[in-house]
Amino acid sequence: MTILAFDFMRRGLIAALLVGFAAPSIGTFLVQRRLSLTGDGIGHVAFTGVGLGVLLRTSPVLTAVVVSILGAVLIEVVRERAQASGDVALALLFYGGLAGGSILIKLAGGTNSALGGYLFGSLSSVSSGDLAVIVTLSLVVLATMLVFLRELFAVCQDEDVAHVSGLPVRFLNLLVAVGAAVTVTVAMRTVGLLLVSALMVVPVATVQLLSRSFRGTLYGACLLGAVMSVGGLVLSYYADVPPGGSIVVLSLTGFLVAAIAASVRKRVVR
Amino acid sequence: MSVFDLQHGTVVLGGRRILEEVSVTVDEGEFVAILGANGSGKTTLVRTLVGLNPLEAGTLTVFGTPLARFREWPRLGYVPQRLSVGGGVPATVGEVVASGRTGRLSRFRRFSRDDRAAVAHALEDVGLSDRAGDPVATLSGGQQQRVLIARALAGEPEVLVLDEPTAGVDADSQDTLAGALGHLSNNGGSVVLVAHELGPLAGLIGRAVVLSHGQVQSDGPPPQPEGHHAAPGHVHVHPHADEQPPSTFGLDR
Repeated sequence: MTILAFDFMRRGLIAALLVGFAAPSIGTFLVQRRLSLTGDGIGHVAFTGVGLGVLLRTSPVLTAVVVSILGAVLIEVVRERAQASGDVALALLFYGGLAGGSILIKLAGGTNSALGGYLFGSLSSVSSGDLAVIVTLSLVVLATMLVFLRELFAVCQDEDVAHVSGLPVRFLNLLVAVGAAVTVTVAMRTVGLLLVSALMVVPVATVQLLSRSFRGTLYGACLLGAVMSVGGLVLSYYADVPPGGSIVVLSLTGFLVAAIAASVRKRVVR
Repeated sequence: MSVFDLQHGTVVLGGRRILEEVSVTVDEGEFVAILGANGSGKTTLVRTLVGLNPLEAGTLTVFGTPLARFREWPRLGYVPQRLSVGGGVPATVGEVVASGRTGRLSRFRRFSRDDRAAVAHALEDVGLSDRAGDPVATLSGGQQQRVLIARALAGEPEVLVLDEPTAGVDADSQDTLAGALGHLSNNGGSVVLVAHELGPLAGLIGRAVVLSHGQVQSDGPPPQPEGHHAAPGHVHVHPHADEQPPSTFGLDR
């Protein structure tokens, strides 16, 4: 396997595997409460963090984690207050994030190709330092989701009922928001900021076509996410396309197959 | 001891006063219906009792403890007004009902035999034992309402607060619901429910609090249907007046 002969590919594959598992674990809860586009918003905000990191000559992953967590908390606060203008506020935050990032990266003397790497993923960009951060954070996200699984399910099912059950609703909501922010930055190197949300949502959307239960959807989506993430990375190596694109196209193909299977099954059952 | 004791409660939502100086006490073992026209503040009242709406003025104690210091949440069960179980990801009936135990569980403890028994019991109470493995979305509206009630029952609460549990629910489901609530009540539990139409619940209700424009209009024995309203087979229909007066020549309709 020539693909494993390169250090950067080995690092990329490990990162893709872990990110593939972690992203749908958060994504399931976002889809559950119909917030599928939250990951996109955080991705936009994280871009400013990347720009900041490049400008300050520190690790862009680290600054992106900090900025996207701030952004996610802000989004959660806006969601909780649920003003009529809530979705406009979110839109403003998204645009600001993307615009800020593009300006900061240019100011720091970054090239267009570096920019593209952050937005759509890049095979060669996972350094060994990045890999350590990615491995640690993905495992933390996965472990957190599993530990709080019951509470998160209850909160995402019905916030009012969770309140009356005495669950720490605000803390749990922030946990999902921060988890999403961390996942976005962790996935930034492989899928890229503009496509990271797809890795959170598409595996969930695919598995739920065929599954009956919440747990089944959650575990199935994590497994599928890992397969699609690694598969897409391999595809991107051989086809010489950005990994973000190949991972998402592969995932969407999977969705299409599942949708056809589901409709065939429906007809057969009938 | 009183389950809920609200004194001179005033609630303001979005700048509007929804409840004005409302005092309501619910004692242990009581079965209380909150009645009133649309917009009279019924939902706001029950949401306030379970701590979902802040009080602008007045005091509220739950099981004798001021709400701010109340921590024994598993003693309360709450069934909000919902058209369906909701959620964007499929979930089985069993999963949704089991989530009603969450408040009772400590984080690292596994679901025990007692927990499973409580869930099975709750499903039995609402007549959905055979549907535990089915996705909630495949159930009818009335059955989904029963799932929401089973979720609250699974927590084995001492008081159950329900917001319009009978709205849009088929007759079968209403009977099952009445059975489940009667069971809870016979075992010493308290029930507070908002209702528009009492239907099969009428026989269970011991007291009715009638709200009007955010104030308590009456509080006492439930109103009895009178005259031909009480007759068996009477269909309770209020025909609405025509929006336009009939035209003289019958041409402009």
